[in-house]
Amino acid sequence: MSEMKILDKAKLAEFIEKLGADFEVIVPQREDGNLVFGSLDHTQPVVEFTGKPLVPPKEYLFPQREELLTFTVKGKEIRVEAHLDNVKRVIWGIRPCDLAGIKTLDTIFLSNYTDNYYQARRENTILMGLNCNEPCSSGFCSPLGTGPFAKDSFDLLFTDLGNRFLIETGSEAGRELVASSADLFAEARDADKAKLKELEEKCKRAFKSPLPSTVDLATVSNKLSGAWSDALWTEESETCILCGGCNFVCPTCHCFNVEDVPAEQQGVSTRVRYWDSCQLGGFTQMAAENTRRTQAERLRQRVFHKLVYIPDKYNGAVGCTGCGRCIEVCPGEISITNILGRVMVK
Amino acid sequence: MTENIYAPHLVTIKQVRDEAEGVKTFKLAFNDAAVGETFTYRPGQFGEVTIFGVGEAPISITSSPVDKGYLELAVAGVGKVTRALHLKQQGDVIGFRGPYGNGFPFDEVKGNDILFVAGGIGLAPLRSLINQMFAERDKFGKIGILYGTRYPALLCFRDDIDRWAGLENSGVLLTVDTAPDNGWEGNIGVVGSLLPKTRIDLENTVAFVCGPPIMIHFVIMDLLKMGFGEDKIITTMERRMECGLGKCGHCNIGEKYVCLDGPVFSYQHLKELGESVELHTFGR
Repeated sequence: MSEMKILDKAKLAEFIEKLGADFEVIVPQREDGNLVFGSLDHTQPVVEFTGKPLVPPKEYLFPQREELLTFTVKGKEIRVEAHLDNVKRVIWGIRPCDLAGIKTLDTIFLSNYTDNYYQARRENTILMGLNCNEPCSSGFCSPLGTGPFAKDSFDLLFTDLGNRFLIETGSEAGRELVASSADLFAEARDADKAKLKELEEKCKRAFKSPLPSTVDLATVSNKLSGAWSDALWTEESETCILCGGCNFVCPTCHCFNVEDVPAEQQGVSTRVRYWDSCQLGGFTQMAAENTRRTQAERLRQRVFHKLVYIPDKYNGAVGCTGCGRCIEVCPGEISITNILGRVMVK
Repeated sequence: MTENIYAPHLVTIKQVRDEAEGVKTFKLAFNDAAVGETFTYRPGQFGEVTIFGVGEAPISITSSPVDKGYLELAVAGVGKVTRALHLKQQGDVIGFRGPYGNGFPFDEVKGNDILFVAGGIGLAPLRSLINQMFAERDKFGKIGILYGTRYPALLCFRDDIDRWAGLENSGVLLTVDTAPDNGWEGNIGVVGSLLPKTRIDLENTVAFVCGPPIMIHFVIMDLLKMGFGEDKIITTMERRMECGLGKCGHCNIGEKYVCLDGPVFSYQHLKELGESVELHTFGR
């Protein structure tokens, strides 16, 4: 059962400081003018911010590069060691779109073959969300239902009520954290709960989603399938410069490469994995041929994977959270919302 | 800790055979006997092979489940990992994890005549199935094997071929694209050119096709022209793979992952995957 509490903004620092005794605390910070997630050791958290951090906090569950195994070979004696990250972390300030992204990553990494590395981090990470009182540029979470207010996938969820936060508990771990700092929190009153609804409605009304209103989620999958061979994929991909940025800022992108890196020490090597991008030609390169040879095919793969394949394979899971980062990061102004708008009128 | 899905088991190379030009067959046994005893697989499944310090690559299993106590992989030394594997010798230790993928239908095709059409190293996964079928000979009708390579020195599994050819109610036809050396008395031409030399009961025959993509494409076209049903043509898909576990995303086609849902597909299902068929029809 979800509980609702009140925390004065002035007490947030104290709450987070207390968490620091048991957890590495990850918070939004300013770095070179950008809002990015980082460890609290470096700077102070940015408590008040609009919009979203430059990249989602995905890297704390699925790092850009991580060591999987170390092999030590001494003749016929071979030792295989795993590197599991068991650091306890709290991430504060996660936007609803990024909570939705983590929910999808959970589905992908923890179903069927359970990914030990993701699982170790996930089980040791507390997720503290922060609802969006104002729409962000490029965001289209509202029509997708992934925001601007979160419904699940958090341990604690914060809503900015002006001089205080309303806090919803979403898990036993979240309830325990609140209980362990009980003196900092007050019970939420009915007026606070009413304010929550009011803020959500206000934000939704203010939404100027870049997703054309013609895009109907119930039919977009069929519309996409109908546009499979359309010229729009070639036209829309013409300005792609193969930077992979759309993948690297995406809360649900999870494709990776695996590589063995020899260590300086003779006979020792480390198997690492690192993020890959389906927009790069090498993604599907094999000895004999490349199975996606044109940028049109690669762009189509990205859009279909988000809007068709992930929902189909994982029982309706959200492939695109509507965060809009891929639109903002693209130097070629390739826009998934424009593409979906074009697809709907085909 | 639960088992690490990415950690390879240690296996020792018990034997290395020169299979054909550029192809070696490695006989492997698990170092941990308990792992070896519980390891089971179906023909058509594959594993991820580790050469420590070099990398990992997906390789199909060419031995059959009836072969107890060891695994065999037939490998062309063409890439970083497979070339490193070719340098390994009897007694060396490598890594192996698996089995992965769906494997070939077996119980489902009992009672049918079986036609195998293989190109080059594509006979390796089919050999697993062929030997499994011959081990349960009475469950299948006629078994025909058509096998082609670019030239005679590339023909794999000559001992198996001689044995299969001598078995009752079965036949083997070989072909090569070109035969520069003397002494080749078999057919010359692509493997599809053997099809007119067969007598096939279309109603009761299932065809298994494996080889390079271009060969698979033309053989399937030939089989369709002969009147084979789309659901009676079974083939394999090849895609770039890293993990073999449906996570890394490289082998994704539609909502399928070749490593989980394949690599074996009927032509009927393959067509539904969209991208796979397009590959063979556009841009060549």
